[in-house]
Amino acid sequence: MSALGLASRRIFAVASNTFREAIRDKVLYSIIFFAVLLLLASLGMREVALGDRDKVVRGVGLGGISLVGGIIAIFLGVGLVWKEIERKTIYTLASKPLPRWQILLGKYFGLWATLAVEVGILTLLYTVVIGYQQGLPGAGVYLAMGMLMLELTLVTAFATLFSTFASPMSASAYTLCVYVIGHFADDLYTFGKASENPAFQSLTLTLYRIVPNLGMYNLRSEAVHGIAVPGSEVMWAVAYAVGYTAAVLGAAMLVFERRDFK
Amino acid sequence: MSAAIRTEKLGKTYFSGFFRFPYLALANLDLDVPEGSSFGFVGPNGAGKTTAIKTLMGLQRPTAGAGWIHGVSILDPASRARVGFLPERPYFYEHLTAREFLEFYARLGDVPSAERGPRIAALLERVDLARFRDVPLGKFSKGMLQRAGLAQALIADPSLLVLDEPMSGLDPIGRALVRDLILEERRAGKTVFFSSHILSDIEAICDRVAMIVRGELRGQGKVTELVASAVQHVDIVVRKGGAVETRKAAPDGVDTVIDAVRREGWSIVSVHAVSKSLEQVLLDEVERARPVDAKRMGVLA
Repeated sequence: MSALGLASRRIFAVASNTFREAIRDKVLYSIIFFAVLLLLASLGMREVALGDRDKVVRGVGLGGISLVGGIIAIFLGVGLVWKEIERKTIYTLASKPLPRWQILLGKYFGLWATLAVEVGILTLLYTVVIGYQQGLPGAGVYLAMGMLMLELTLVTAFATLFSTFASPMSASAYTLCVYVIGHFADDLYTFGKASENPAFQSLTLTLYRIVPNLGMYNLRSEAVHGIAVPGSEVMWAVAYAVGYTAAVLGAAMLVFERRDFK
Repeated sequence: MSAAIRTEKLGKTYFSGFFRFPYLALANLDLDVPEGSSFGFVGPNGAGKTTAIKTLMGLQRPTAGAGWIHGVSILDPASRARVGFLPERPYFYEHLTAREFLEFYARLGDVPSAERGPRIAALLERVDLARFRDVPLGKFSKGMLQRAGLAQALIADPSLLVLDEPMSGLDPIGRALVRDLILEERRAGKTVFFSSHILSDIEAICDRVAMIVRGELRGQGKVTELVASAVQHVDIVVRKGGAVETRKAAPDGVDTVIDAVRREGWSIVSVHAVSKSLEQVLLDEVERARPVDAKRMGVLA
């Protein structure tokens, strides 16, 4: 078997174990249950909302899916490597003849698959709920969910990086910072531009370039209002997510490679 | 005979705290584990056995020296291609059943898919866990986990087994099962390298042994040689007419005593060297390493 084939099989083995562990975690079901409740509650909002009530319901539903996706990405991501080390399961894993980068990639893909299934299930549920109340949602909703997966791809990479050297508590705080700042990256840029202080402008511009721009993955508003999104924008978002994720995972691999398991 | 494991001046220093205070856990370890041998790695708790094993298994990077498994550097994951490893305490994925657990490690060990099922079934039978194949490991007792761990170490049919304290905390039945498994592997021509501070197990199973105290190697070789080198005295049974006596001789004075008794008209009935036990040899080394603290450490089981 070629080296690439062997590496793929090992990565897949670690990924499927990670996926299996995640879907057998009762906490995951609690979070998904919360999302289902949120989706169902959005139906009730129709009665109390102002303005275009259907759009409010659609917006709240999509927002709920994004929120829960973000929570799961952070919650499971920050414990991804840490749990292996803390529970000492890493001893039998890292002593196998596979390089550590393959373990890390396997763990990452396993979590990514868990998120994809979770977003998929909630999107399906959203389609049924909205379809029942307002008719089938447009293609924009599925594009928005695709973009959400790209955002989670990036957030999970950061959570994985932090989990290679920090406890879940610290890693959660770091990932949350990236998540929040990432969503306000455009505002940071605008804020800096508006300032007349060159040092402040330079600082905000540097920050804008360093932190991931997660705002571009929020197409929920476009989906709710039926606004078309240019294909070039989507392509750029895909390339940005792939490139940024590769860089962050590369850093995670470097840290993980050098770790001692005491 | 080629070496299954070889190290040269292998060392590990930990750095802890804000000021990175150094702690020397392992120093200048020169090990030579021949292929096909059953090798015991003995020493008191905290001697550096687990540190050495973790370094060999790629779980920690050495800070000095080098090591090879089957001729491949321990820094290369490929060195562990034909190795089965059981860590000191059995920590495994609690969400997996025994069968899923072995399936996972079979896949990581590149066991062909057609062979996995029969091999898993046979191993579960061998470690007496066949009845519990679909029970999650989270519900296993410590002894059952240890047996599952051994099955995990054997799943890829390795030529070298590295077992860190495989009998620690097991009841007599569990210990007998583990001991029989090790002996079976040895008979099958595998190299077995295992650490223990239970010296009776080492004496019963191993043909070679290395002794480590306070991070430093204090001797290695065949068990019989190591014990023979620690002969305390020699009993010489002699007879003259109906009288039988036992004369004691120092290890280096046997010839002198024999010559003397013969001159006195006694005939030699038997000569028997009285050696220290492996445990006594180890205790002496601990005493030598820490003359004041050896007793206080309470390190021997």
